Amino acid sequence: MSSPLAKPQIIAHIQKSLNYTVFDSKWIPCSAKFVCLGNFARGTGVIQIYEVQHGEAQLVKEVEKPKPIKCGTYGATSLQQRHIATGDFEGNLNIWNLETPEVPVYSAKAHKEIINCIDGVGGLGLGMEHQRLSLEVEMELLRFGTPDKEIHQLPTWSLWRERLRETAGLLHLVMPLMIRIAVFVLNGVCSVEFDRKDINMNKLVATSLEGKFHVFDMRTQHSTKGFASVSEKAHKSTIWQVRHLPQNRDIFMTAGGAGNLHLWKYEYPAERSKKDSDGVDVGVAGTVNLLQNVTLSTQPIASLDWSPDKQGLCVCSGFDQCVRVLIVTKLNVV
Amino acid sequence: MTAKDLFSLQNQDSVIDCSGKVPVEHLDYGYIDQCKDVKYLEKIFKALRSGDEGIYPNLISFCENRLKLLDPKNKLLRTDKPAATAANFSQEEWEQIVDDLKMWQEETKKTDHSLKHQPLVNEIIKENIPPIRGSNQSVPLKKDIQQKQSKNVCKRLLPRDYQEWDKFDVEKECEQIDSNNCLRSDLPAVAYTGYSKLKTNLDASLLTEQEQLMLATREKDKGNEAFRAKDYEEAIAYYSRSISIWPTVLAHNNRAQAEIRLKRWNNAMKDCQRVLQMEPGNIKALLRRATVYANTGRFEPAAEDLRTVIKQEPQNPAALQLLSETEKKMQKEVMQEMTCKGKKIQIQEVDEDDCHNKESEAGLKACPVERIQPQGGEVSPAATAQNPDMGNAQKRPHGRGDGSPHSDTGSAHHHHHHAPWKGKASSGEKYKVNHESKEKVANGTSKRGSNASAQADQSGKSPAEGQAKETVNLDAPCGALPPPLSRLKNEGNLLFKNGQFADALEKYSQAIQGYTDSGLDSPEDLCILYSNRAACYLKDGNSQDCIQDCTKALELQPFSLKPLLRRAMAYESLERYRKAYVDYKTVLQIDMSVKAAHDSVNRITRLLIEQDGSEWRDKLPEIPLVPLSAQQHRKPEQPSEVVLQARAEKAKRDAERRAEVQFSTLKQEGNDYVKKGQYKDAVGKYTDCLKLKPEECAVYTNRALCYLKLERFAEAKHDCDAALKLEPTNKKAFYRRAMANKGLKDYLACSSDLQEVLHQDPKVQEAEKELEEVTVLLRQSLANANANANSNVSPAKPRKSVPITEIENDEEDTPTAPNGKGERQY
Repeated sequence: MSSPLAKPQIIAHIQKSLNYTVFDSKWIPCSAKFVCLGNFARGTGVIQIYEVQHGEAQLVKEVEKPKPIKCGTYGATSLQQRHIATGDFEGNLNIWNLETPEVPVYSAKAHKEIINCIDGVGGLGLGMEHQRLSLEVEMELLRFGTPDKEIHQLPTWSLWRERLRETAGLLHLVMPLMIRIAVFVLNGVCSVEFDRKDINMNKLVATSLEGKFHVFDMRTQHSTKGFASVSEKAHKSTIWQVRHLPQNRDIFMTAGGAGNLHLWKYEYPAERSKKDSDGVDVGVAGTVNLLQNVTLSTQPIASLDWSPDKQGLCVCSGFDQCVRVLIVTKLNVV
Repeated sequence: MTAKDLFSLQNQDSVIDCSGKVPVEHLDYGYIDQCKDVKYLEKIFKALRSGDEGIYPNLISFCENRLKLLDPKNKLLRTDKPAATAANFSQEEWEQIVDDLKMWQEETKKTDHSLKHQPLVNEIIKENIPPIRGSNQSVPLKKDIQQKQSKNVCKRLLPRDYQEWDKFDVEKECEQIDSNNCLRSDLPAVAYTGYSKLKTNLDASLLTEQEQLMLATREKDKGNEAFRAKDYEEAIAYYSRSISIWPTVLAHNNRAQAEIRLKRWNNAMKDCQRVLQMEPGNIKALLRRATVYANTGRFEPAAEDLRTVIKQEPQNPAALQLLSETEKKMQKEVMQEMTCKGKKIQIQEVDEDDCHNKESEAGLKACPVERIQPQGGEVSPAATAQNPDMGNAQKRPHGRGDGSPHSDTGSAHHHHHHAPWKGKASSGEKYKVNHESKEKVANGTSKRGSNASAQADQSGKSPAEGQAKETVNLDAPCGALPPPLSRLKNEGNLLFKNGQFADALEKYSQAIQGYTDSGLDSPEDLCILYSNRAACYLKDGNSQDCIQDCTKALELQPFSLKPLLRRAMAYESLERYRKAYVDYKTVLQIDMSVKAAHDSVNRITRLLIEQDGSEWRDKLPEIPLVPLSAQQHRKPEQPSEVVLQARAEKAKRDAERRAEVQFSTLKQEGNDYVKKGQYKDAVGKYTDCLKLKPEECAVYTNRALCYLKLERFAEAKHDCDAALKLEPTNKKAFYRRAMANKGLKDYLACSSDLQEVLHQDPKVQEAEKELEEVTVLLRQSLANANANANSNVSPAKPRKSVPITEIENDEEDTPTAPNGKGERQY
């Protein structure tokens, strides 16, 4: 390698073993703290808050809840409130104020069974104009998160603002899209994410059970050819997660079933759309470049979250009952 | 083994062994070194790695290097790597990373703290944001809520169950979706580019400073991303959003770059100026401003900016390159000047640029708040030519109001051109001179987007010709000016037209001097002279004197258009936007059609809002009310023939359309009156109809019917005649004329009309019946006449009333009589 330090490096800044199964980890916006959600061996749920301090993750708060908590999001909260929405094994949706975590701010039975994934928009100034709508949509959203036997984990949904307008239309829009991708990718979609929540849909990354992922350019949809896409096989195992860097929508990280992380960058083509032989607009896919890859564990990495505040800071948790804070360097010069 | 042998061997083997194992001979330094087939090399690499043929670490790394050389991004080269640690970095780098993180931690802790200690929920925000569904009601999971929720779920599309997924038929689902899709969108392709819908102005005033900053940064990031994806329009939209929340140097700078990419020089210039106000000496902004200058053909300031950049950053490659390019162009320009006859323009332009530059620099120091209008009223024509779509209003004044000095309608110019003298055309010519010299210098394109040049082409005469003709008639009389003065004025006009503004200025000054000496009393002429001299000053960039002259002209002739417009432009170039605004507004009161004024008003409004905030109107000086007489007396622009024609056509079309509408409503009203039996009113309506459209046959026949009903037979007959003139075979007209004739007791004419009707359509029973009757009457009248001739028996025997029926023809919307089939009694 010519100059190994010229490209981004992934540093395992902090590694913390936990005494429970951790399902999800999320940064608290505008802070150096993150939340871990999981399941104690005795069958109860747990929310832990850690603060990154002096190269260590220090436990700030721990709350035990009756049901194991599978997932959480800060997507729909305002910066002033910073309430986390969680989904548990019983299908309950709760919104917590972690300052006073004893009782939820809001609670609802969203599903009959486990809520696998949750995502939200509307908070943090994302789509300010539509905050109300998005809060509602966030509720709707959960209802997609039904598990499926073949597909281990159902997609997490990031939304684009314009499409939020029709709550009912959402299902129609997303489901066909997903099935298209599912068929195309063939082996089950594990995770999908739009490159940004608060813009018109631009790109979508879908990852598969077989270790392949596809990047779709969502700006031009051809009636028969659909969206242009580029695919890459990176991992030897399932890609569990894909997360776009909040500060740069063209960089994303995939987390694999063998405990490895791959950092990618999408390069746009010279022209994003062209005319086909019939003079109809058809999208042109770009290319995907591997920026860096690391292996952190032998167990799958199930959750990954970029810090919304500090570029390159990222927290991930895996089935090895470990939560890790990673620093990815030189993202600004990529 | 020679290389040649190797290749043949390799080709053979790679074909044969494609699926099988790599032969041992190929696991060789020499072979690998020569192998160019990436696929095969991959195979070798895999074989080596597998260790089936033994492990050769050196060979493996050699193979890896070879593969890297041929295909640097090959997947086989990817290796599992542990996470980087401090050992992977130099100490310096590591420290930097750690410090960076530490700093962030401290900072974020502070913001975290401040967020926590803010009043938790801002009341205003709370008002604006509706509560989360049900959040106000309950905390614990009550039974009834649960039920409600589950009910809700039932109503919606339920997510699939485990069992359902088992039965899930992907193919079927896909087909269904495909068919749905087909139904939904017939479009062959959908482009999701929604930036046009983006609001570029965000109101973030309700948010805390923290949130505003965050939001601004986020929007800027989005702009950056869009920029990278080459969606410049979108990028600009996001930068604008960012700026509207929290203006930063970065966002302005980036927007300038995006504008440059879209070749919107003026917008880019504004952003650069803004940055330089916020942060004087910002290298990026200077560089970008230089780019804008260079691209709008103003090399001198471009070079100056670039030198400043290079002074600060001697190695800046972009600046060095641009500077050398600019200097080359400047040299060319000088060369051009030497050869070009109309060199004066060039000289002036350079001078003027300089002076503007100084001005803007002065502006920088003097008024740090105001946005600087770099070019005042004067933008080099190259820019106009390059981007006609820019909507840059600053150039338009030349094409329009400012195009030429006054030449009043009585002026001699009119007579010696075949085509009428046009302000626009002449300005086109002026531009042409500029274009020709400039284009080669500035961009080498022959694109002439400006309407001015098109006009010039149309008028189809070269400046030289114009000049030749012009000189002949320099002594043409000008208003009430004595011959020597009018000669001076005409010479001035000619010089102005040729772009020799300084000389023209001199002539005008002489004329004004002469005027005052001669003690004439003709304020109109003096006004024109001042106004023309103001135009020269404006062209020379001498805004102060321009304003003075305009003011003088306006004292002599209040509310004359051109001096007002010129003064407005001068004010604008001096950045006295309020005064400029008032003048433009006055211009618009005098003549709404001055587009340049409209554009400038829009632009200045924006600037003023930026400068003074939402109460900017309060700070304006009073806008004088233009008396109606001035509005009527307004000196119309002299638009080109084409424009005039187009306008006239449009007006005509409009009038026609309006008339059409009015006509049909009038006719309808008339028909309605007929239905109601109010024939008199109907006649009025029909008469109005005919005023609008005298060629409408049906209206004549309808009115004839009304007259018949009113027993005004002579008029009815007249209408029928008119209808028949328009439509010589109109049955109805004939029939009604027959009835009228009958009423007039002209039975002969009546019977001939009826015969005509029957001739056209033998089936008209009413006509037959009438004919019979009329024949009887005719005989009677003839007999009577005879009797009259013989004896003096009065013919005034009461006429037997004759029932007549009339079939309403359908092809015209003739009103149906109130009694349906129309049994009419006379």
